[in-house]
Formats: sequence, structure tokens, C-alpha cells
Amino acid sequence: MCRIKRVEKVVSILMTLILVIIFAPVPSVLAAMVGTEAVLVNQDTQNARDQLRSFLNREDVQSQLTLRGIDPAEAKARIDSLSDAEVMQIADKIDQLPAGGSFWGTVLFVTIIAFVVLVVLELLGYTDFI
Amino acid sequence: MPACRIRRPLYGLLFLVWMIVGFLVGCAGIKKFESTDLPKNLPPAIELEAVPFYPQSDYQCGPSTLAMALTYSDLPITPEALKSQVYTPSQKGSLQMAMIGATRRHDRIAYPIFGLNSVYPEIAAGHPVIVLQNLGLSWIPVWHYAVLIGYDFIDNTVILRSGITERKVMSLDTFDKTWARSDYWGLIVLKPTRLPAIASEKDYLSAVFGLEKSSRFQAAIEGYQTALTRWPRSLIAFMGLGNSLYALGDLHGAEEAFRMAVKNHPGAAEAYNNLAQALLEQGHKQEALATAQKAVAIGGPMREVYEATLKDIQSKE
Repeated sequence: MCRIKRVEKVVSILMTLILVIIFAPVPSVLAAMVGTEAVLVNQDTQNARDQLRSFLNREDVQSQLTLRGIDPAEAKARIDSLSDAEVMQIADKIDQLPAGGSFWGTVLFVTIIAFVVLVVLELLGYTDFI
Repeated sequence: MPACRIRRPLYGLLFLVWMIVGFLVGCAGIKKFESTDLPKNLPPAIELEAVPFYPQSDYQCGPSTLAMALTYSDLPITPEALKSQVYTPSQKGSLQMAMIGATRRHDRIAYPIFGLNSVYPEIAAGHPVIVLQNLGLSWIPVWHYAVLIGYDFIDNTVILRSGITERKVMSLDTFDKTWARSDYWGLIVLKPTRLPAIASEKDYLSAVFGLEKSSRFQAAIEGYQTALTRWPRSLIAFMGLGNSLYALGDLHGAEEAFRMAVKNHPGAAEAYNNLAQALLEQGHKQEALATAQKAVAIGGPMREVYEATLKDIQSKE
């Protein structure tokens, strides 16, 4: 009986030690440093936002937006309220459009923006027609 | 409930519009090769005869192509030595990520290449390109790595080191079709002191960052320094350089790199943050404190990190 208890004690101490070692917080030297990856990603989203903004500043894009009854300034404000991931997605779509600002490319892009603006309006609860 | 009756058809309509837009945009993304798109100012025909040849054994096209590219980049190695790092026996082949990983493990930059038009300038600059081809059909794939070493616009052919053929001449059309099935996956293996012929800052620095991430800090440092010769103000390059030096324990070198970063980018809070940390660890508490305060003042999406750094410095006073 006594021997079993002693074994139990040893085992339990061992187990406790192992648990402590496994879950002990490892002090990370890099904790206070901003990694290169974060800078890369930051610059990416910044570029995507800049690209979207310059697209919305184009005259043909603005006239297409107005044609669809969307205020370009409002569209810009909506884009600003999108998350980084959403902005990247839209910027990717622009990248796939035919280059050179062809008429159909612009129309397609404006359709995308119009859709985004609609969805954002809907999500923010300004409208209720979807 | 009239509102509900309006809802459904509109939902369907919007979905339909979205599908059509997606389809059109998708189509626009597919660009067929056209000879009129050829970049100018390139030699009409070129062949990199200095690229060595290692004939492949069964299913070993991954290790052998990588060995050719590494050897050509002044790092003599045999396919046998690479087999364990690249080859996946259960797949009877080598995965693209394994090829990239093995390149980095040998202190070389793995720079991705997409599409025919980006290939010609690289070949002309003396960089052979590892390409992934599907020699079968799209639904019975026969995946194969080969090394593209030359092209000839007059005959409309390309020259490859492929399988057991040292000099395989393939028509441009066939090559385009077999390569297109891998979405034009290509790779060049570069010494960290070299730049690709056509490099974007972001793509090159992402490739160099791959070295840093695989803890090949010395090679990463060389890569960042190379990037700074082409883009002398690059924030990513300064940050990567500083972080890699810091990882090697060179606090003073890291400090210098972060100083250059804030000098060229006075609004880069992350650079101030890292500079503060490097200063603190060298015992310059006063300057570290002032620098960390700057980072917090600029703020941005990583404000919490800067605040933690500042708190850390203040607690050590």
C-alpha cells in the first residue's frame, strides 16, 4: 500500500514537471519586433487601396458610376470602409481586367464596384432590397 | 408580406449578374500567347550552353532539374543529393513547394516566373528557367519538370534539358500548350547577389523574404542588399535587412538598417519600433525611449505592438 503511494507520488511529480515544461511560456526574443512579413503585407494592402483609389479617380470610371446612379465620392467612402482582405480581392479582379482601360474593362469594373457598394450599403443596414 | 416577395427575385437576379461578371472577368484573365506580344530588344535566338545536364532516373525530374539549376548558379550538386529534399515517394514526383524549399535550403533565391513573355528576358540575361509541364492531357496529367535553356524566334522553337534528352528542341506552340496546363509555373534559381532580368520590387523581396523565413539569414542579408542596389529606398528591404541582422545577433548592423529605414520613410512606425528595440538591447535606453514614443505617435494598424515596446522600455528604467 505504502509502496504504491510512493510510486504514485513520484509519477505525479513527474507528470506535473512534464506539464509545466510543455506549457511554460517561452519568452520570445522577437516579441517586440515587427517582422518583415508584416511589412510586406502592409505594403501590399496599401498598394491595393492606392490602386482602387486611382481607378475611382479616372474620369471614365466616374462617368460610368454616375450613369448607374452612384455618387463616386460615396463609392470611395465605401471602399475605405472595406477590410484589407476585401480590398485585395477587388484589386485582384482589376488586375485580371484587360489592360489599357478599354471600354468594356471599365464597364466590368464599374459593375464590380457597383455590386460592392450595394453589398456594403446592405451590410451597413442603409438599404433593405436584397 | 410583400417585402418578402420582392426579396427573392432580386437575390436571384443579383446572383445571376454576379455570375456573369465573374465569368466575363474569368475569361478576360485567360490570355493566349500571341507572337505580336513579344518583348522587344531581345536577341532572336539564344541558348545557354553552359547549363549542365543530369539525365534523370525514374520519376526524378524534380531533383535533376534543380541540380542543373543549382550547379549553374555556382553550387555544384548531384540529383542524388537533392532527392531526399525534393522527391515525395508516395507521389512519385516532386511538389512545387518542395522545389522552392530546397532552393532556399541551398541559400539560393527561388524567384517565380509566369508565362512565356517573362521567360525570354530571363534566358537572355543568362537565367535558365525550371518549368513544370503537363506532357499528357489535362485529364490524364503527366507532370514533368524541365529546364528551359534557350529559344529561337526564327524557327519558333525552344530548347530544353528534359528527362534523358540533353538538348530537346520543341516547337513553341507545343511548349506553350504543355506549360499552360501548369498555369505557367516556372522558377529561376538565383544567387542572392543577382537580380532577375525583369523584377518587381515586391516579387523580388517576397522571394528574398523566403530565405529569411527559412532562417537562411546570411543569404537573406545578401538578397536584401542586392534589392537595395535596384530600389535604394525600399522599406521592405531595409526592414528585412535589419530583422535578419538582428536574428543573427548583429544589433549594431540592425540598428544601422532601421536608421536607414526611418531616414527614407519618416512615417514608417514599424521601423521606429524595431530601431527602439535594437537600441534598447544595446543599452541606449534614452534614445530607445524617444524612438519608441515616435512609433506610438505615428500609430497605425500595429499600434499595440509599439505600445508594448514602449511599455517594455519604460519598465526597464
